[in-house]
Amino acid sequence: MSLINDNFPTARSWRDIPQPVKPRAMSRGGRQRFILSIVRSSLVFAVIVGVGVGGWQVFRVTHETLGKPSVSAAAPLSSTQLETTGYLGGDATWLARTLALPRNATLMGLDLDGLRARLLAQGQVQSAVLTKVFPSTLRVQLTERTPVVRVMAQLPGAEPRQFLVARDGVVFSGVGFPAEIVESLPWLEPTKLVRDGDGFVPVAGMVVVADLLGKARLEAEHLYKTWRIVSLAALNTDAEVEVRTASGASMVFSASADTLSQIAKLDLILDRLAQRGSTFKRITLGGGRDAIVTLDVPLVPVATSASTKTAPATAPRRGSTSFSPAFGNFSPSSKKSREL
Amino acid sequence: MSSKPSFIGAVEIGTSKITALIGEYNGRELAIIGRGECASRGVIKGSVVDYKAASDCAHSALELAERDAGERIELVFLAQTGGHLDGFYNEASVNVKSSDNMIGRDDIRTVCDLAKSKELPAGRMVVHNIRRPFRVDGRLVPTSPENLVGQKLEVGYWTVHGQEQRLADNIHVIRGFNLEVRELVLASLASGHMVTTAEERQNGVLAIDIGAGTTDFVLYRDGVGHTTGVVPVGGTHLTNDLSLGLRLTEGQAEKLKLRHGRATVQARDKSEKVWLDGNFAIGDRQFPRHAIEQITAARTWELLEVVKKKLGHSFSTETCQAGVVLTGGTAKLPGIAECAAKVFGVPAHLGETPSWVAENLRDPGYHTALGLLYYGVSSQGEKSAPIRRKAGFLHSVSRLFATS
Repeated sequence: MSLINDNFPTARSWRDIPQPVKPRAMSRGGRQRFILSIVRSSLVFAVIVGVGVGGWQVFRVTHETLGKPSVSAAAPLSSTQLETTGYLGGDATWLARTLALPRNATLMGLDLDGLRARLLAQGQVQSAVLTKVFPSTLRVQLTERTPVVRVMAQLPGAEPRQFLVARDGVVFSGVGFPAEIVESLPWLEPTKLVRDGDGFVPVAGMVVVADLLGKARLEAEHLYKTWRIVSLAALNTDAEVEVRTASGASMVFSASADTLSQIAKLDLILDRLAQRGSTFKRITLGGGRDAIVTLDVPLVPVATSASTKTAPATAPRRGSTSFSPAFGNFSPSSKKSREL
Repeated sequence: MSSKPSFIGAVEIGTSKITALIGEYNGRELAIIGRGECASRGVIKGSVVDYKAASDCAHSALELAERDAGERIELVFLAQTGGHLDGFYNEASVNVKSSDNMIGRDDIRTVCDLAKSKELPAGRMVVHNIRRPFRVDGRLVPTSPENLVGQKLEVGYWTVHGQEQRLADNIHVIRGFNLEVRELVLASLASGHMVTTAEERQNGVLAIDIGAGTTDFVLYRDGVGHTTGVVPVGGTHLTNDLSLGLRLTEGQAEKLKLRHGRATVQARDKSEKVWLDGNFAIGDRQFPRHAIEQITAARTWELLEVVKKKLGHSFSTETCQAGVVLTGGTAKLPGIAECAAKVFGVPAHLGETPSWVAENLRDPGYHTALGLLYYGVSSQGEKSAPIRRKAGFLHSVSRLFATS
């Protein structure tokens, strides 16, 4: 049948005339309708695409989270993956102890918010991200706090022991830190830590201490190594931080003055004292160009008057001496050095 | 059947005016809800000669119609007329293939394809294929011959074809308003469908639509269009004759034609005169009524004679028992029915608008546009019922894309 019909000559019909015309052949009204129809078509297309993409996303999520749970919900949690920025990964049992997951815990049954709260209760953990990885793995990603000083404290019913204090003042046990790192930290002068549940209230003013110690460690490590105790006793009253060395000498830094210039001034004074063979008992920095140095032994005993233990030490005038500080970032040509 | 309404436009690009109607079709009924018309420019004898002028007029009419309806349309049925349209008859016959001589669908399809398969000259395109009744062994079958028993199946088609460029111009005028031309309908079929009844069409009737630039006619026999034609002469030619004969401007001649023109000479007193304006203003002149009637009557007679001549053997008083029905703007000329009756030798009357049509659409000038809607809707329903099929949400979405 179709074979016969296909052989019939077919006359062209008016329907063979292409109807679309170019926009220039349209009237203003026609162009407006044309544009409107394009806009409507685009909107409809966008809606259809949106619905399609949305549907696909719903399907995908459903497939991943709801499609498999029948398997994973029944299967117990097989492993936990720990990724951390610090040293908690060194203790293989720490994560299990902290999370305290039940033996037959399933991935779908995990309360991630509760587990995250448990991790954050450990002061060493600054932030935690927990992810369920199907079918049966829990991934834990941690950001740890970095210790600034250490402190001796005692929890109720326990022996006094060493804790670490971070920049934000959080006091934590310090799990997994290598001994050389912990031992290089100065002690925080014994202070009365305030209890807060199973831990302590964060120590105030640690930002100043962290800034001071961090810059000293970076710019003048030879000085930092001698620092043993940091005292915040005068921080609230005089805005001063006192640092004591192993020999008992103390250095008082002003919390309101530039830390780096104070360290540089201290380094210069110590160099001068070393040249003169003197030792000091206390140096008060932060007084602008001046510093108050209390010497351990008087330089020249004066018989006619009382021995002077305290003498103002004035920094040398500009260009009066060739001075080379011990740390690299503080060059003689810098403004700070000229003031000294 | 869907009750969700569809909005369809009908546009007639005429020589004197462009008419647009908007119909609301709910699958059962068609209601006219909007009308717009604009004095035509850029159209001569039904053909577009100035694209921009014709587009502006057509788009103004469409805008008016849409505003009147308060709805936007996406597709239109477009009336087609013009002197370039022509028609021919072609028939075919096949022997019934079945061994029991029962006519099957394949037989019907084959004979129809054969009858429509005549090639056209270059540049010509088919506008309509109007099927005449089937014949089974010479016996007339008004409906489908499927499952009838016979040896020979015959059918014929009256094919209307037109010049490709003229058809394209008309379509592009509408498309310039970003509307789809869903159906191109011969103006005579549209108006004939409106002014004749099914009974008249069955008994044989000649519908003549005398417009301003063209005269379209269709002869119905056995309930279907038998022969159609277009004569590129219309009411403007009467005006032109008056203008030449009485030395008047076209405007003055048109005024005289409308006020005193007749299709038959009625004035007995050759000295009786009529005023051009009748307001006694300076420049107002008198003209003999007899001369005016003679000119218009002669031209009308001549026009109808041309129609009769073009019909040829298709027309006979026996096959056109329901007579002649006249419509179109020029059909308002007094005495035209009488004139047509004399020319064709059968009773003639003016086409009447169905009673359910609103008062403001009862003028014969709207018959083509009205018929377009009804003919278009019915022919669409016969083909594939697209309006019903496309109703619903998917139809709405597809319409958005269809207009882009």
